[in-house]
Amino acid sequence: MPEKLANSTAPVLLMQAVAKSYGSVEVLLGVDLTVTQGSIHGLVGLNGSGKTTTLDCLLGLSAINAGRIEILGLPPARLHETEGAIVAVFDTPSLHSQLTVRQTLQHAATLCPSPSRSVDELMTLLSLSRYGDYKLSKLSLGNRRRVSIAHALVGDPSLVLLDEPFNGLDAGGVDEVLALIQRLNRDHGMSFLLSSHQLPYLQSICTHLSILHGGRILASDSLDALLAGSQSILTVTTPNLTAACEILGSRTDLQIRADSSATHLRLTLEGATPAEINRLLVTSGIEVQALVTEQASIESLFRELTGASADQPAGERAA
Amino acid sequence: MRVAQTSACLKACLHAELHLARHSLGTRLLVLTPLLIACLQLMIASLGETGAQAQQALLGAEAESTQQGYGFWVDSLLTGLTCLSLLAVAQAAYGLAAERDSGALRHLVIRRASRSTLVVSKLIALHLLIALALFLLLLGSWGLSALLWELGPVIEDGYELISEGEIRTEIHLGLQLAILPLPAALAFGILISVLAQSATQSLTLALGATLGFDVFKASLGDSAGYVFANFLPSLVDASYLGDVARLARGYSDVLIDERLLSLNTWTPLPAFLLCLVLSLIFIQRKSL
Repeated sequence: MPEKLANSTAPVLLMQAVAKSYGSVEVLLGVDLTVTQGSIHGLVGLNGSGKTTTLDCLLGLSAINAGRIEILGLPPARLHETEGAIVAVFDTPSLHSQLTVRQTLQHAATLCPSPSRSVDELMTLLSLSRYGDYKLSKLSLGNRRRVSIAHALVGDPSLVLLDEPFNGLDAGGVDEVLALIQRLNRDHGMSFLLSSHQLPYLQSICTHLSILHGGRILASDSLDALLAGSQSILTVTTPNLTAACEILGSRTDLQIRADSSATHLRLTLEGATPAEINRLLVTSGIEVQALVTEQASIESLFRELTGASADQPAGERAA
Repeated sequence: MRVAQTSACLKACLHAELHLARHSLGTRLLVLTPLLIACLQLMIASLGETGAQAQQALLGAEAESTQQGYGFWVDSLLTGLTCLSLLAVAQAAYGLAAERDSGALRHLVIRRASRSTLVVSKLIALHLLIALALFLLLLGSWGLSALLWELGPVIEDGYELISEGEIRTEIHLGLQLAILPLPAALAFGILISVLAQSATQSLTLALGATLGFDVFKASLGDSAGYVFANFLPSLVDASYLGDVARLARGYSDVLIDERLLSLNTWTPLPAFLLCLVLSLIFIQRKSL
């Protein structure tokens, strides 16, 4: 197994100008993606944006039409040579349903040259101890998801790819998985690539983020850098909308957004603060009924870059 | 270095395959069904013979066993092998395709196995299972035959018509010729599973082709001898083992056609290699 890279900024995964089409349907149009050692990298995109295809290409499950992919310095067709340094958890738990939980983890152990954790240890880690003798087909989706994650952690992987890891998990389960990912990242230096439509979860855990849209990566950077570049939005509720527009329209440290309505004025803050705006309107004799600030978030950034409607449910926006 | 790595990888995959096989109902059926069917046939034959003897006794005739057991044993072997060959094709066609459908195959490819190793390890595991099924079939059916009948030479009017040694030699040859096409049948099943889009499609295609050949092999005439499936024990049987059953009952006119013997010996090997090579080629381009 390759030793974990000492350099924390060294890429463990590299995609350059990767193109993939199914027949005449072009899914990836030149995807560039870099995941650095020790990072937790989120990949978000709309339905059909090519997230699953990207993961399939990365793992060598689908052949690419153009471009270059390297994972731990190897092309996807030779991933098996890492002997378990790269593992994946798929959106549908893709394991043998006729096996029990214990047998499934034992099966994974047969594939590892030196399993780093015992089956019992893994079952305890993922709260699966009481289900050890249950067949996978008898488990709930959430518990099958736990088994998939335990299955991935049998060896000592350097890079874990997770496709929709929070699907089917209850709130407690999500917290457990989030904590586990953070712990494995912090204590064992494991890198993660997570694709998920649960944007708040990604924001709480990811160090890096890539937004995939229309077969291309629109933005990819550390979360801090992406959010620093994203502007806050202020919604002002006032009965004197026209007058408020006239006063605020002359300022250069804010912009009136096109999605303002007849009762709400939406402003993109480019230096102005909510307190300043409130003071200005009140001193001008305009009644301010409410001021709501939307902090920069993955969700607003995602909406901004992809043009996804705010009315769409989160699951549809970035599934 | 590379050879050692490939060998370790193959060993790990085989270990994983056998772990799965130990806990799979399909494997148990593959290993035990031929034995159970053969034993069932022997018991039905024994009951039939006992019934006939009882009928003769009631009619006042002297009730005695008219046949020794080798004929029944070979009949049961033929049935068991027919069942085994069909199950082998089905299991080979279903296993890989079903794992691809469920996505379980992906973990093997990502973690440990090249696509070629995957195919080879599946083929080796299937051979081991078939060997186990054959061993159980031979041992179990022989044991039950020996229990129910006397296994000895064919004697008619006090004269030994066919010696036990001759019968055993022919049974050995018949078995050898019936077993030789099994690896080709397994490789054929694997090839279909690589080419098919789903497990259901794969199973239907493989069994359909095998049974379809049975229906049409008579009309193919001599050229049927160039297809490995011609020599598999099957529902419309053309294997030499069927002739051996007649020989073991005293039909001394059984003669083996040297040309067929030669085709039976050599046709399965190129078929096996062809199916294996095609499987190894097509699996490289298959989306998993």
